[in-house]
Amino acid sequence: MGPLSILSELPEWINLLFAFVIGIGFGFSLEQAGFSSSRKLAGMFYGYDTTVLKVFFTAAIVALAGSQLLSYFGLLNLKLVFVNPFYMNSAILGGIIMGAGFIMGGYCPGTGICALSIGKVDAMIFVAGGFFGAYLFAETYPYVQTIAMDNYMGPMRIDAWLGVSPGVFTLLLILAALMLFWLAELAEKKFSRPDITSDL
Amino acid sequence: MEARIKYAVLLVGIGIIIALLPFDTSESFRLKSNELLSKSISDSLYLSVDQVAQMMNKEDSTVQLIDLRSAGQFKECNIPGSINIPFDDLLNPRWEGTFNQRRVKKIFYGNGDQTASYAWTIATGLGYKNNFIMKGGLNEWFKTVMLSQFAGEKISPLENAIFENRFNARRAFTQVNSLPDSLKGKYFKAKEIKQLKLDGGCQ
Repeated sequence: MGPLSILSELPEWINLLFAFVIGIGFGFSLEQAGFSSSRKLAGMFYGYDTTVLKVFFTAAIVALAGSQLLSYFGLLNLKLVFVNPFYMNSAILGGIIMGAGFIMGGYCPGTGICALSIGKVDAMIFVAGGFFGAYLFAETYPYVQTIAMDNYMGPMRIDAWLGVSPGVFTLLLILAALMLFWLAELAEKKFSRPDITSDL
Repeated sequence: MEARIKYAVLLVGIGIIIALLPFDTSESFRLKSNELLSKSISDSLYLSVDQVAQMMNKEDSTVQLIDLRSAGQFKECNIPGSINIPFDDLLNPRWEGTFNQRRVKKIFYGNGDQTASYAWTIATGLGYKNNFIMKGGLNEWFKTVMLSQFAGEKISPLENAIFENRFNARRAFTQVNSLPDSLKGKYFKAKEIKQLKLDGGCQ
């Protein structure tokens, strides 16, 4: 049955419509969770607010467990689900640049657009910076191509790399997530700052 | 009990159930056996060598010829435009990108019909669309396309069209297969479709 975009012969515009509806839902939830506030996002770095970690880790384990159950019941063919190809150098370098930009700007690309849509001026500058960075990358791509394409590992999966079944990996990730949530709460107590919910 | 503890217990429970599920679900056949059977008895899964020759002559980009013979045999000769996926290597994840394109016709061929039929069954069963078999395989190709000759007094327009198609295919086949090995290697490397790399993901 799934993934719908590959197995059903739906026209392209319906696929895009799905993406549009899911995108609106995603943006709405981000905004509702307070992710359009750069202070909330920066809290992850300083340890006083770990909502980001909790939200994204919860999303990861729900999606992981959900997709496996769907595949078990024959509703989703996981073989046909796109796996991001892994370029080790790009992942490390890009991760550092993205992390630096995240803590300086206070947003990640998605939440930046979220904050932009409710009219935050800092987000407008942040997103403009993001576009400028993308432009710069495209223009200098021939020079960084060898670095960016080096250490290509293919569409890699951690469960295959660890040599365990996807199910066991799911369990391990759930345990890791619960452990991190617990540590995150400890950090929140240690680095606590006055509540900002009312001025978001 | 606190809500967060309840959720934690629920999540760990689901995790244990998933970890105990008996098989790797992602590898299973997607089509039920009766669906597969009804697909496999239809004649439309076969393409004649003449049809394949015509697609090759037109350099039809919606077609991907897949040679299922060993790498050595493939190097010796193959139909221009085909890529080599040895039958033993069929389930290697690196070919995912080639199979996973429902708009591209994937045409399997081996020496005869047998390996191509196996490959067709596996690819179709796993849920990939648009798979075909070149009827008769390379043996038929040689008999029909490479050795075709016209002997007689008169030629009808239809015969002429068929003969011209075979003649062009034969010329391309001979030209590509007589290239030096180094050039051939490059040609086929460029031909490999890297859908996985092209598709891209986004955060």
